[in-house]
Amino acid sequence: MKKMILLSALTLLTTAAAQTSLSGTVTVWSWDVAAKALQSTIPGFNKQYPNVKVDVVDLGNQNVYDRGLAGCAAGGADLPDVYSIENNEAEVFWARFPDCFTDLNTLGADKLVKNFPAFKWTELTANNKRYAMPWDSGPVVIYYRRDLYQQAGINPATIRTWDDFLAAGKKLNTKFGNKVKIATIANGQDDEWFRMLANQNGCFYFNNAATQVTIAQPGCVAALTTIKKLNDAQVLATGDWGGQITNIKASKAASAIYGAWYEGTIRTNAPDQKGKWGVYLMPANKAGGPRAANLGGSALALPASSKNKAAAFAFMQYALGTAQGQVAMLKGEGLVPSLLSATKDPYVAQGQAYWGNQKIWQTILGTLGDVPQARGTQYFQDARQIMIVVQADYLKGKYKTAQEALNDAAKKINSATGLAVAK
Amino acid sequence: MTTLPTPPRARRRFQAAPYLFVLPYLLIFASFWAWPIVSSFLLSFKDSRLGAAAPWSVANWSRLAGDEFFRTALKNTFVILIIQVPSMLLMATGLAVALNSRMLRARGLFRFAFFAPLVVGTVAYSAVFRLLFNTDFGMVNRALGGLGLPPVDWLNQPGPAMAVIILALLWRWTGYNAIILLAGLQGIREELYEAASIDGATPWEQFWKITVPMLRPTLLFCLVLSLIGTLQLFTEPALITNSGPGNATMTLGTYLYQQGFRSFNFGYASTIAYTVAAIAAVVSLVQLRLFGRDT
Repeated sequence: MKKMILLSALTLLTTAAAQTSLSGTVTVWSWDVAAKALQSTIPGFNKQYPNVKVDVVDLGNQNVYDRGLAGCAAGGADLPDVYSIENNEAEVFWARFPDCFTDLNTLGADKLVKNFPAFKWTELTANNKRYAMPWDSGPVVIYYRRDLYQQAGINPATIRTWDDFLAAGKKLNTKFGNKVKIATIANGQDDEWFRMLANQNGCFYFNNAATQVTIAQPGCVAALTTIKKLNDAQVLATGDWGGQITNIKASKAASAIYGAWYEGTIRTNAPDQKGKWGVYLMPANKAGGPRAANLGGSALALPASSKNKAAAFAFMQYALGTAQGQVAMLKGEGLVPSLLSATKDPYVAQGQAYWGNQKIWQTILGTLGDVPQARGTQYFQDARQIMIVVQADYLKGKYKTAQEALNDAAKKINSATGLAVAK
Repeated sequence: MTTLPTPPRARRRFQAAPYLFVLPYLLIFASFWAWPIVSSFLLSFKDSRLGAAAPWSVANWSRLAGDEFFRTALKNTFVILIIQVPSMLLMATGLAVALNSRMLRARGLFRFAFFAPLVVGTVAYSAVFRLLFNTDFGMVNRALGGLGLPPVDWLNQPGPAMAVIILALLWRWTGYNAIILLAGLQGIREELYEAASIDGATPWEQFWKITVPMLRPTLLFCLVLSLIGTLQLFTEPALITNSGPGNATMTLGTYLYQQGFRSFNFGYASTIAYTVAAIAAVVSLVQLRLFGRDT
């Protein structure tokens, strides 16, 4: 017993010593709400590590990606100590620059494996190395304006399929004389809708082994057909990231479809609409079908060139590996934790004032188990750029059917990546 | 047997000295300028996504030959070239003549005003253009509405998006060219106009018979610069329309960037870069041949 006490006292002492011995500055690159979320974990982190200064730089999503690739290409020059990376885009880094990031197993990440769901690790590990630590995930839901739906006589509980969603859009058109659309789609700038709807149907650009192009498979065809139907019915507005936010602020869009991380975007951009918003599950392709998908979701990596790895890893462990860190980000910016213990935090079961006291986190996290897997592979950007154009062309009427459009997309992705098209 | 006299030592050392002086520059030139050019040519024969072990192949070049996206980028670039460059030079010439006029007061102010767009940061000006042409809240659509015209979905429709790019380019570069042309105008000797007036030439005749021919080298300079600039066009389509909608405003520059820095396929990006350079060389040569001869 004495030995035990001595031993635990010793461990306490050594950990305390280690914590105060860590010092210096940890620079973190991130974007938008994700950067703000990381910022919100700093006070808690500094209670444990008072001598480490964390400097979160908000570069914007695309810039983080571009500068990260450029830095890795330059042998690790000008990279921060902690690097934010989207799961979908992660594999391009591991494939092209296997030495750019630290294998977190060497710092003890292998002991944390069970704390996260397995699917979050798939894109973060390669060649037996664990390149990044899981952060948030993006279970897709529909955010909607209670007041606008009500005025148009729409009951969100009855929207079970995309056809119901389309009918609701028509009601909004009629009620508001086409001034309020049911949602905004980033046609021509992005293909997020396609990715969400395809994922829901169990289809994606590539198969999960990253060996074949599966974009012309039935699930994807159904997704693109739905988008065309909605677009042709003129229930959607068009706008990129900024345009969508503008439409929300100006009450020109009655809903938004995105991953869970969009909660913070709506809440912080339209604080005056507090209490007017609610959440419901994404409609299914067919009645009774799956009503879950994932869009986005990120991780944190530690560049090999970091001069302050111990402090950087300590920050990553606090922000992502503890329930306090993760719940701070959920509270602040609505980033959905993938840390399993954090999803059971009492905060998740609370009603949220901004969302009309709805227990939105229970609704959102409840879908996590139904999300079909999808893998970005190192060719994610090639496929995405092609699909953005094919979707825009298809909506414009260049192809006769969704199948024809996606056959063409598959052919183009094959020529860009060399991966075979699945039969 | 004849023996050549060996040059004196001192003289030989004298010859080496200048090379020693330029050596630092030559080294920098070779490593930061010449080597990247050679290296990217070599890269165009490799699949850079496979790493250093990638075998030599012509795959990038055969992909380029059948690449629909490249053709679209080429087409878009030429559409801008054919519409924007001539209209810009026409406007710039008119502006330069006006700025050169003695009748104009506060000439310095006007010169600055027309040159000012170039001083504005590209990101800021792109953001302003995005706001101006916003479908729902932009000033342009408000103005159209005021005239009783229907709104245009500027940034989300292919044709209007291209129009926005061309307008932005005109706004940014017309003044710049006008200032260069103005310098050219001021190099034309006054006596020519005086002599012409004495001979009874009207101002219009003077413009066509004196100004335009004398301005020709300057115009050619502006033309070739604009041409090369347009072939490398990147900022406006990248920041204002993000090459979209779809790839309706994708240019050779943005496609190259997309391949290089989004897909991180440097091999293919190098292939595109070499093709763009070749096109620029050919088009410039044709220009010089057509308009460069002295008459």
